[in-house]
Amino acid sequence: MSKIIGAVEIGTSQAKALVGEVGEDGSLNVVGMASRPNEGMRKGEIVDFRKAAAAVHAALEEAEKMSGTTVDSVYLAQTGAHLDGQMLRGSAFVASSDNRVAVDDLQRAESEAKRRQPETGRSYVHHVRTPIVLDEKVVEDPVGLIGKKIDVGYWSIDGDDQAIRSALHVISNYSLEVDDLILSSIASATMVAGPDLRRAGSLVIDLGAGVTDLVLYHQGYVAYTGVIPVGGDHVTGDLSMGLRILEPYAEKLKIEHGKASPDPSDDEEDVWIIGNKTIGDRSVSRKAISDVIHVRVVELFEIIRKELGSLLDANELKGGILLTGGGSQMPGIEQVAGKVLGLPVRKAGFPPGIEPELAQPENATVLGLLHYGLQDHSLPGQKKDQEQTGFLEKLAHTFGIG
Amino acid sequence: MRKKTKKESSQGSGWKNLAPRSSRKPASAAAFRKQLQTAGKLGLLSLCLATLVAGLWWFDKKIDSSVDPIEFTGLGAPVNEVIFQTDGVLSKRWFGNWFGPMRSRSLMQLDIMSIRNELEAEQQVKEVTVRREFPSTLVVEMKEKQPILVLRLRAKDNGVQDWMVAGDGSLYQGVGYPSSSLSLLPSLAIHPSLLRLNSDGEGYCKLEGIPRIAPLLNLARKDYPELYRDWRVVSYERPDQSDPGAHVLVRSGKVRSIRFAPRDYGAQMQRLKYLLRQPDFRMKSSIESVDLSHDRSVYAKI
Repeated sequence: MSKIIGAVEIGTSQAKALVGEVGEDGSLNVVGMASRPNEGMRKGEIVDFRKAAAAVHAALEEAEKMSGTTVDSVYLAQTGAHLDGQMLRGSAFVASSDNRVAVDDLQRAESEAKRRQPETGRSYVHHVRTPIVLDEKVVEDPVGLIGKKIDVGYWSIDGDDQAIRSALHVISNYSLEVDDLILSSIASATMVAGPDLRRAGSLVIDLGAGVTDLVLYHQGYVAYTGVIPVGGDHVTGDLSMGLRILEPYAEKLKIEHGKASPDPSDDEEDVWIIGNKTIGDRSVSRKAISDVIHVRVVELFEIIRKELGSLLDANELKGGILLTGGGSQMPGIEQVAGKVLGLPVRKAGFPPGIEPELAQPENATVLGLLHYGLQDHSLPGQKKDQEQTGFLEKLAHTFGIG
Repeated sequence: MRKKTKKESSQGSGWKNLAPRSSRKPASAAAFRKQLQTAGKLGLLSLCLATLVAGLWWFDKKIDSSVDPIEFTGLGAPVNEVIFQTDGVLSKRWFGNWFGPMRSRSLMQLDIMSIRNELEAEQQVKEVTVRREFPSTLVVEMKEKQPILVLRLRAKDNGVQDWMVAGDGSLYQGVGYPSSSLSLLPSLAIHPSLLRLNSDGEGYCKLEGIPRIAPLLNLARKDYPELYRDWRVVSYERPDQSDPGAHVLVRSGKVRSIRFAPRDYGAQMQRLKYLLRQPDFRMKSSIESVDLSHDRSVYAKI
């Protein structure tokens, strides 16, 4: 029997909902997807609950309608400047007399790692496991191996309670439950950076409208995540102020004529702001548009370079830097990023098998949510949370009221 | 990185603690429609469950009230016991003769509805219940007609044939009645024109006047047995309450003719008893007639 799962990304410019059907063989088919403009967010955080809820609910309703089914729970993407990450480590000595590692030893190390709480008013959003170390040696699955001390690490992201609560409230208000909160950058990276790239070491930068999410992988594991409160909306704002035009026209110019770095061929070319050459319409030079965008884009990548510091090591990032998200579609942005970050940068692609209309950079997060949610991230020897298999749960699910 | 005041705890603080328990007021039209949809589904589910429960209840009631148990089993074991119960005189032996040999017939092979219908077609039988008691018992419960009078008719071979008269006016040839109890029953005398053959020619139609006089006979047998024992012949003329000439005539050993009006038999019997206790009547070995049919007046001829 197939299972229906849902994913929601409450983005700064768009709310996206996706309904997937997981087959018995574990294959995932996207059966419904919808997005709605979201006017209730600023810089990845909900500032108008009703507007954000209206956008998310409309997207969910449309996705459900398209799929011809209903979802009971969703994976929810989490982003915003309020998020902060830190590495938590825990260790445990192997308890058995023959020094053979048991599941209990791992669990003790895990408890030790997770026992540190965030400061008051903040809660953990996501714990991402890093390599397990047995006697200073990285192992995939230590259960059954001989050793004395086991170390488990988690890259743990915590966020502001109020911001998390608002996002959860948007979902619960639509009579849905949240299966898991997943960091937007990790969801995007799951989609655009395959296991090989992650093992080789790579940095995935998701250029969103309100914020820029980034995740850095070392040896296949998350080593760093971050959220920069600068996104495409800032570029639009800069254009609006720099060219003295309204934001909708600035957004139009950015999408239709924007380039991340000035092109000498644009020096003589002008473009019309409104486009219909009526009263009030005027022309601006393409170079002026590119100049404004370039300044902001350079600033953004400089912030990223500063934030990552020594982690931007070419030896550790053999997979390179991947750009995704709506902002990555801007022409020339990878060259600017490469110049500022000092490493090869390219636009991320999607794995084969995804339909072209879905395989767009702005859909990376919501698609990645489903893929990440379906994977087993538990410790070796631990089982993923079991599904509800009771009669009443099944009955409720059959009637779509579970 | 921001500075943090970390605190230690045995458990990390996760986002699940922040999940709102419920969110009743919808924040958007879509959420409202979703809540309506969910409520509708819940209502539908409740309706389905209620229908299911009602169906099960009805099914249970039907099985309980049904004379025929629903046959869920196969042929089952052969019938090895018959429980026969009656409020009359028919015996288990009579039923055995009526039914025939039971051997090698299983409980499930018996058509108990047919058995019931055929038993109720018997003249002496008023009502029958037939049921199976698993694994191998057939239970027959019967109510018989009780005779209140005997009608003696001349048979074709010039002999006599006694017909029992039940309280509802039906006539039947009784089976199994001891002669001692039959000898106590008064005889019925009626005009031959009132006696009509059945359509099959095997018996007689119900006598319409009998239900009117049956209360008198039942009352006399129950409350005035010393008088009833002496009653020999009962006849009636138009025993209809609306007919001023209607009456019931009883011939007894001591009083040759007792006339009752077909109403308020209790008062008439009280008056008769009182009258017969009077010295003048008690002293007489034979009384010509007593007429009780004139409301509060009694006409007696000694």
